[in-house]
Amino acid sequence: MSFVPGQPVTAVVQRIEIQKLRQGNNLILGFSIGGGIDQDPGQNPFSEDKTDKGIYVTRITPGGPADVAGLMMGDKIMQVNGWDMTMVTHDKARKRLTKKNEDVVRLLVTRKSLEEAVKHSMGTYHKQ
Amino acid sequence: MPAEVKQEQSPSNATSLAMMQEPQEVVEETVTIEEDPGTPTSHVSVVTSDDGTTRRTETKDMSTNVKVTKMVKTVTTRTVRQVPLGPDGLPLPEGSSPLGSYTDSIDRRYMKNGSDRFITPQATSTLTRSYNNSYNDSYGETPESQYVRHYGLHDGYADLTDNYGSLSRGVNFRPPRYPYLPNSYRPENSYTLPIRKDDYGHVAQPQVPMGSSTVDLNRSQPERFQPEPYGLEDDRRSLGPEEEEPYELEPDYSTANRRTLPGANRGRTHREPLRDGPRVRGYPDDPIEAELIDERHPYIHGMYSAPLAQPERGSMASLDRMGGRRSPSIDSIRKDPRWRDPDLPEVIAMLGHPIDPVKSNAAAYLQHLCYENDKIKKDVRQLKGIPVLVGLLDHPKSEVHRKACGALRNISYGKDNDNKVAIKNCDGIPALIRLLRKTNDMEVRELITGTLWNLSSYEPLKMVIINHGLQTMTNEVIIPHSGWEHEPNEDSKPRDAEWTTVFKNTSGCLRNVSSDGAEARRRLRECEGLVDALLHALQSAVGKKDMDNKSVENCVCIMRNLSYHVHKEVPGAEKFQDPSALQAPGSVGPQRKKKDDAGCFGGKKAKGRKNGENDKNYDTLDLPKRTEPSKGFELLYQPEVVRLYLSLLTESQNYNTLEAAAGALQNLSAGQWTWSNYIRATVRKEKGLPILVELLRSDSDKVVRAVAIALRNLSIDRRNKDLIGSYAMRDLVSNLPSGQQRPAKNLEEDTVVAILNTIHEIVTDSSENARSLIQAQAIEKLVAINRTSQSARETKAASHVLQTVWSYKDLRNALTKDGWNKSHFQPTVTATPKATKNGKPGYDDTTLPLMEKNQGTRKCGSGDMIPMDELGPDGYSTIDQRDKDCKYKTGDGSVDLTEREPLKNDTNRKHYIRSNRPAVSLVDACDVKPQPVDSWV
Repeated sequence: MSFVPGQPVTAVVQRIEIQKLRQGNNLILGFSIGGGIDQDPGQNPFSEDKTDKGIYVTRITPGGPADVAGLMMGDKIMQVNGWDMTMVTHDKARKRLTKKNEDVVRLLVTRKSLEEAVKHSMGTYHKQ
Repeated sequence: MPAEVKQEQSPSNATSLAMMQEPQEVVEETVTIEEDPGTPTSHVSVVTSDDGTTRRTETKDMSTNVKVTKMVKTVTTRTVRQVPLGPDGLPLPEGSSPLGSYTDSIDRRYMKNGSDRFITPQATSTLTRSYNNSYNDSYGETPESQYVRHYGLHDGYADLTDNYGSLSRGVNFRPPRYPYLPNSYRPENSYTLPIRKDDYGHVAQPQVPMGSSTVDLNRSQPERFQPEPYGLEDDRRSLGPEEEEPYELEPDYSTANRRTLPGANRGRTHREPLRDGPRVRGYPDDPIEAELIDERHPYIHGMYSAPLAQPERGSMASLDRMGGRRSPSIDSIRKDPRWRDPDLPEVIAMLGHPIDPVKSNAAAYLQHLCYENDKIKKDVRQLKGIPVLVGLLDHPKSEVHRKACGALRNISYGKDNDNKVAIKNCDGIPALIRLLRKTNDMEVRELITGTLWNLSSYEPLKMVIINHGLQTMTNEVIIPHSGWEHEPNEDSKPRDAEWTTVFKNTSGCLRNVSSDGAEARRRLRECEGLVDALLHALQSAVGKKDMDNKSVENCVCIMRNLSYHVHKEVPGAEKFQDPSALQAPGSVGPQRKKKDDAGCFGGKKAKGRKNGENDKNYDTLDLPKRTEPSKGFELLYQPEVVRLYLSLLTESQNYNTLEAAAGALQNLSAGQWTWSNYIRATVRKEKGLPILVELLRSDSDKVVRAVAIALRNLSIDRRNKDLIGSYAMRDLVSNLPSGQQRPAKNLEEDTVVAILNTIHEIVTDSSENARSLIQAQAIEKLVAINRTSQSARETKAASHVLQTVWSYKDLRNALTKDGWNKSHFQPTVTATPKATKNGKPGYDDTTLPLMEKNQGTRKCGSGDMIPMDELGPDGYSTIDQRDKDCKYKTGDGSVDLTEREPLKNDTNRKHYIRSNRPAVSLVDACDVKPQPVDSWV
């Protein structure tokens, strides 16, 4: 998932739709994110490329909406409702995810296992 | 561990030494509290007494992983005709020890790899001193010019001695070593080289008997001798006072009177010099001596009757030596039938002989006989030889107490604890300690501490050693060699520890005694300066990156043992008890709760955290401010030690050290008192968790076990639990056996149980961690263990984990999707024996709650895992007594053999592991800057 700045990023992504859950006044998704361009990417335990400043799923509430939708710990969030998440600050990402007026978020996420699955299905020599 | 490891020597040593060496054994026994396997060290020493004979000690320290260090110590004991000389070079009437046997000992050590040298400063100084003295006294006046030529040079002198004692040494050398040795040492040899050639020229003459030709060939090649690199070094030797007489060192001389002990005679290596002798020097021969011998020395008669200087004899002797024979009788049969070796009662009687050299030679011979011979040790004991030897420890002559000590060291080595008890029963322990206080001779100190180490392996003697010797050993050895200073003044700069043999032996002894229960721990903790010095030594080891040696291992093991139960045993511990421990183990104290959110996640998290099933208490660490530096036992549990242990865990290649360091963290993070809270948080802050997790991949069973238990204790801290659950789960699970076949590592039952219990602790009260567990594909393994393991303990532990996992209702969906059902998570009926593995379909679990708190863990602690619920806070500690006991019985000899093996491979494996360093950095997010933010959404 490493990329060259200025070049388009190619990744195998999965679309995940999460129905927010209302808890009192809050709408929750049931996962937590880490990363962002204002964060130290070296601390990200999930990224392969330690310079990757993307937004990652760090924890998931078991049984929560994200869990039910199939989001997994370590997933990298590429887009939220069409908004790019690969070059945003942490707070920006959080805000995109927690808009009060949206009950559903659609994520594009990528993860290692997806990439591998695709590689296998497409043959060993295929380079993405 | 209980491990008293004793080993005499490794087989390989034996063969290489085959020549007659009498090894001395130093036992290293290692006992460590929980499960420290002691590392074996084998010391082989060869003793040859008499003129030609060489006593050689070879020490192989198996404990170093990286390099196998082999030290060879050669002690040459020769009997030389003694012409006591006054300052004027004339015989002194009163000084004449009638026997005229002279012993000089050369103590040389070298490390096999040549890189490290063992330098004993004291030895150096002694040497010089004695040398000068002797030189001035006697040589200055020597009229013979030849004499002067030979001996005027320091080196020449040393060299000769070398030749002398070196027969066996030369043989010992393995061929591969030859090629490069001569080069490096030639410079030092240069003075003597010509002389030597001379000597050997003679040897090569046809008079040498055919039978021994091979041997002689070897012997006669000068190169043989030159290779002994260290022999030339002055500092290697310690010369006793008697040796100040240069003549004695002269080979010629010694040959003149090989009339001491028969054993000594065997060793005559130096027939050649004999021939030269007369030519070289014009000394008055020994009429007096001969007379003395005849009159006063009954034991010597036999051998004395043999012609003194027969080259053949010498070569024969060397032949025997080649064969590795030690038995006096065989030797004597092959020799001149007219003399015989003394039998054991005679040797023991000689210990009481009025003439000192007889005593010392008898003791030396005894040491030789006892080497690796349990029968003879027993005989010596039954013949009441031990009290006599102990009595000789107080003898003023260094030669005598040194040899007695050597004999005691060999006798004290081995599994026969009766020998140890016999030494103790005649007050040998206080006598050894007295001598330790008295002597400055490094070799004697090594022997004393080696003996004490041997004795300390026997449980009942540990307290005796503590009572008599703890403070002395600390003051005389540990503190000075550790480099620690009680009150450092400005101009003294901090010193590093010196890893001397004495320090190694003493720390080994303390390591053993430190495992003798609460009282022993208390005594050691309160022993003034001990903890400070050990800590200093370890810190200096870390600073120098020299962490793989045995001394470090011993120190860490002592520290680990002393850290055990600190939260209960240390004076004033009550004050630090964490009140929250009473309410709920595993949760954090109220005082921490309030400041808890401040640091790590900023305001947002407080809200988000409610999503989690548990309130997460992330503690911030505020260490108590100290007004004065802590000292003594307080140092054991100061958070500062965490960094030390982590450095050891990161850098050391020694499995025992790794295990002990992990065990120390395990002990310190156990229990509920303020300090263990700090320690747990400090490990996280110092980024210790990834280090520990990485060690889960170690090839060493013990390391994996200690690390697993440490992680379990560390996860008492909620934040640690989350981190460990996220990042360590895979490594924990990968250590579990899968199904019938064990993984490549083939971990012991104890280790598997430890890992299972750690997993259990991690998933308890954390469904997130339980989810991680499921994601790590653990369920399959757990079910397999639960159903098929041959070990009841493993079964039980696995079943507890499964029950806990099943108790999270929100996970059942996922589990069912993976094809698991309730029956997989049911305990197999514990009451029934394993064979009737149940899966009873009708088992009614509705009336029997699947997961019953406490019940699970409670039953599982059969061996060394203490169930946490059962013992409360202490459940987390490493155990000593229990574990020790059980290991003790099975352990001993066999244990160290197995332990030894892995050590050799260490380097490679460790490398492998290190290179696989996980990319994941398992660090506490809030401790680093910039702080990574993690937001619940």
